[in-house]
Amino acid sequence: MHTLKRTKLAIFLGLFPALLIYLGIAIVPIGLSLYYSLMDWNGIGSMSFVGLDNYLDILKDDIFWLSVKNNLIIMVTGLAGQIPLGLVLALLLNRKMKGSGFFRTIGFMPVVISSVMVSMIWGMVYNTEYGMLNNVLGLFGAESWKQNWLGDSKWSMLSISIAYIWQNCGLYMVIFLAALQNIPDEVNEAAALDGATGLKRTLRITIPMIRGTIMVGVVYSISNSFRVFDLIQIMTGGGPAHQTEVMTIYMYNSAFMNMRYGYGSAVSILILLFSLIVISLLNRLGREKNA
Amino acid sequence: MVRKSKLFHIIAYTFLSLFAIINIVPLFWMVVNSFKEEQEYSRSPFSLPSHLQFSNYAGAWKVANMNTYFLNSIIITFVSLAVTVLLGSLAAYFLSRFTFKLRGTVYGLFLLGMLVPIHATLIPIFLIMQKVHLLDTRLALILPYTAFHLSLTVFILEGFMRGFPKDLEESGVMDGAGIYRIFWSILLPITRPALATVVILNFIYNWNEYLFALVLITSGSLKTLPLGLSNFAGIETASMTLQMAALTIALIPIIIFYLLLQKQLVSGMTAGAVKG
Repeated sequence: MHTLKRTKLAIFLGLFPALLIYLGIAIVPIGLSLYYSLMDWNGIGSMSFVGLDNYLDILKDDIFWLSVKNNLIIMVTGLAGQIPLGLVLALLLNRKMKGSGFFRTIGFMPVVISSVMVSMIWGMVYNTEYGMLNNVLGLFGAESWKQNWLGDSKWSMLSISIAYIWQNCGLYMVIFLAALQNIPDEVNEAAALDGATGLKRTLRITIPMIRGTIMVGVVYSISNSFRVFDLIQIMTGGGPAHQTEVMTIYMYNSAFMNMRYGYGSAVSILILLFSLIVISLLNRLGREKNA
Repeated sequence: MVRKSKLFHIIAYTFLSLFAIINIVPLFWMVVNSFKEEQEYSRSPFSLPSHLQFSNYAGAWKVANMNTYFLNSIIITFVSLAVTVLLGSLAAYFLSRFTFKLRGTVYGLFLLGMLVPIHATLIPIFLIMQKVHLLDTRLALILPYTAFHLSLTVFILEGFMRGFPKDLEESGVMDGAGIYRIFWSILLPITRPALATVVILNFIYNWNEYLFALVLITSGSLKTLPLGLSNFAGIETASMTLQMAALTIALIPIIIFYLLLQKQLVSGMTAGAVKG
């Protein structure tokens, strides 16, 4: 009995510090965000309860909807770029071939570089006067193709998306590659006996085998797209004239530039809601397809 | 049939090479041009440097306060990492090797953290740090870095420790060793492979983190490498070669780290993404 009590104490002492830091800093603040989102507060004066006014104001703001649109652009281009590209690369690298290790190493490299560095490097690639892209175009005499890649609203979101895909594509490549390598050899052998080869085998057997993993990749890609911040903050700061702003930057600006903490918290809750809605819709879709 | 596979081979290699080139060229272009003077760069951005010019490196190191940023990043990264792994492995030990009433609840709570986007907590964390006067201190970053990576750390370590046979601790109990003694001298040593994964993951996430640093740190003397670099870019817009040198300085250690520990990094980050 005595030892049991001591065990309980030991368990408590072992879990307590981790739980304290974790709950205090990662979980409780979500509740606080919800609470602040109902308040009007500039951080100095007194807090006043405003109910859902923050949410209503946000939903009336055109710039907020512009940022939602940009988030959707990142989401769609991210999905359309990362998933198929990652899948094709994984399928190619899954075969026994010379140099596959090399391609994998190079492919994953952008994933480990900080997004700050990726943004700065791509910012220089896109630089209008001295950037690599315009220099390359000049080299081929395509002067008229030169653009202000990040400053012109016709191109800016596309330019950002390309940098975003460049940064993340390798991650999907290795996720899919790991799944492909888990397909048992018997499956491929059976397919070969049935005369399924090449493209047919890939489409009919290989891809369906890793459908679960592809779905995980899709969900991850979507939830990631709602978290984009560093890349845009550093490349354009959301500008020019809010043209490349996404929801996280809209939140950052309202809270830390305009000192509207309640309003900013409401934005952060909306981001959370949006990503949860999209992901649960997707899960339902996936389940219906399976049924 | 043979011709077809040969054609396929050529297409595959062309595609992969193109991909590799797109991945490498921006980095290569930056490193090469960091050795040029500004005028040489604007005159001929694609040639190799006429002679290796290290003045940008000396300049970047001084102007950009690289040593301060490196030092801050090293301190903050490693302290957070040590705290996370110590607390996380302790929690994983009790969650995996003991049965108690709230075990499931506590474990579920830890898992929940992997779904929480940090943006949803950013403003409250800023206000809390302000209230307890930790704003603009190293601890202001160490605490959230630890809190947000405990989930994945506990998840990976718990899964690993759970796999050990049930009678593992028996010899320790026979010898009269206490619960913490068993943790330290029996459990922890055989958890080493998972610990390595967790250490590497924590390192890379902390080292690269930007958003918390941006919000919680203001003094130049406390800025981490990503924050310092981004500020430097804002100030030194005139000299691109100087920026390239600063970026190359920051890039080299991480590339070396990646090439040395590629296997663990790739599998760890993949697991982190899929589970997260």
